[in-house]
Amino acid sequence: MLQVVSAPLDFLRIFAGQLRQAGIRFAITSGMACVHYGLQQNTKDSDWIIPADDLEKLRELLARLEGELPPWRVSYRQIFGAPLTAEFMAHASHLSIWDSAASVEHKVDIFSKPPRVKAEEIQVDTEGWATRHVVAQMKRTDRDKDWPIVQGLGQQLHERNRDECLLHLTNSEELLAAWQSATRSARERMTSRRPLLRCLETTPPPDKLGVERLLAIERLVWERVNEHRHKRYTRTWKDFYRRWRKESGWDWPTAEQFWLQHRRTLSATR
Amino acid sequence: MKIVPAEPEVEYSEEYYEMLARTMGEERAAWARLPREEREKELRWYHDNFNTPDDLAIWPPELDGGVNNP
Repeated sequence: MLQVVSAPLDFLRIFAGQLRQAGIRFAITSGMACVHYGLQQNTKDSDWIIPADDLEKLRELLARLEGELPPWRVSYRQIFGAPLTAEFMAHASHLSIWDSAASVEHKVDIFSKPPRVKAEEIQVDTEGWATRHVVAQMKRTDRDKDWPIVQGLGQQLHERNRDECLLHLTNSEELLAAWQSATRSARERMTSRRPLLRCLETTPPPDKLGVERLLAIERLVWERVNEHRHKRYTRTWKDFYRRWRKESGWDWPTAEQFWLQHRRTLSATR
Repeated sequence: MKIVPAEPEVEYSEEYYEMLARTMGEERAAWARLPREEREKELRWYHDNFNTPDDLAIWPPELDGGVNNP
């Protein structure tokens, strides 16, 4: 029988369909969402926001798919981040999925608490994509390549007349133009979220160079915040992983089924 | 998790694409100008023929990268 190999974009739809059928809430975010919004080309892995309450159903779904024909293979990645259970999902869990014997490896990252996004602000559209506002918040990292994407998403929001553009524009001229055309209530709401906007209220408004300096400082703050968050996470992970590797007969990732791997990760963390 | 209606495609201004070209490069801006189906077709070709940075990375991006570890 001819095996169909799922390309990354097909897998995205297949996995989304499986989640929908199983009644698991999800939002596709980060790189693939940026592809969807026309802002990125160079990613194959996929990032999914799945509420902690739905993780049990997700584990059940993965176990079921491993038992179907053709069977999927699901595995934690070597650097797996966190066991796929609410207790540990302050960051992300990193899986690999093969949806047929001939499949390429699909790297799947699951977030229950997406960084920098308040739980009440997680919005997903009816097609399953995290909104631009959510993706832009997740992209405020300390990676240079992410900042043009934040600006791009902000610009798209501006062209769609959405007030949230004031939170994400990082180009001084564009930000000033959006600010000038915003209503008083939008200015007030957005200023409470982005302190930099307070400086645009002054009379006369700051010049372009002044705004650029403020934007540079703001980005530096976000980079340091992310670096700090990142360091805590990496340090914890590395400490855990070094201890775990010392266990007798340690082998990871194992070739066993996902639920057995999951049990192994839980016992390793306790 | 709040579900909102999917937004329709809109035609972005020329300034939008010029800004993309300045911040992301001409190639990405040209890709962004394509209709969605064409963008996807080009992406499929790219995926079929090239490794992407995430193919080659052992560490997931959340545990890698950043200013001090590019």
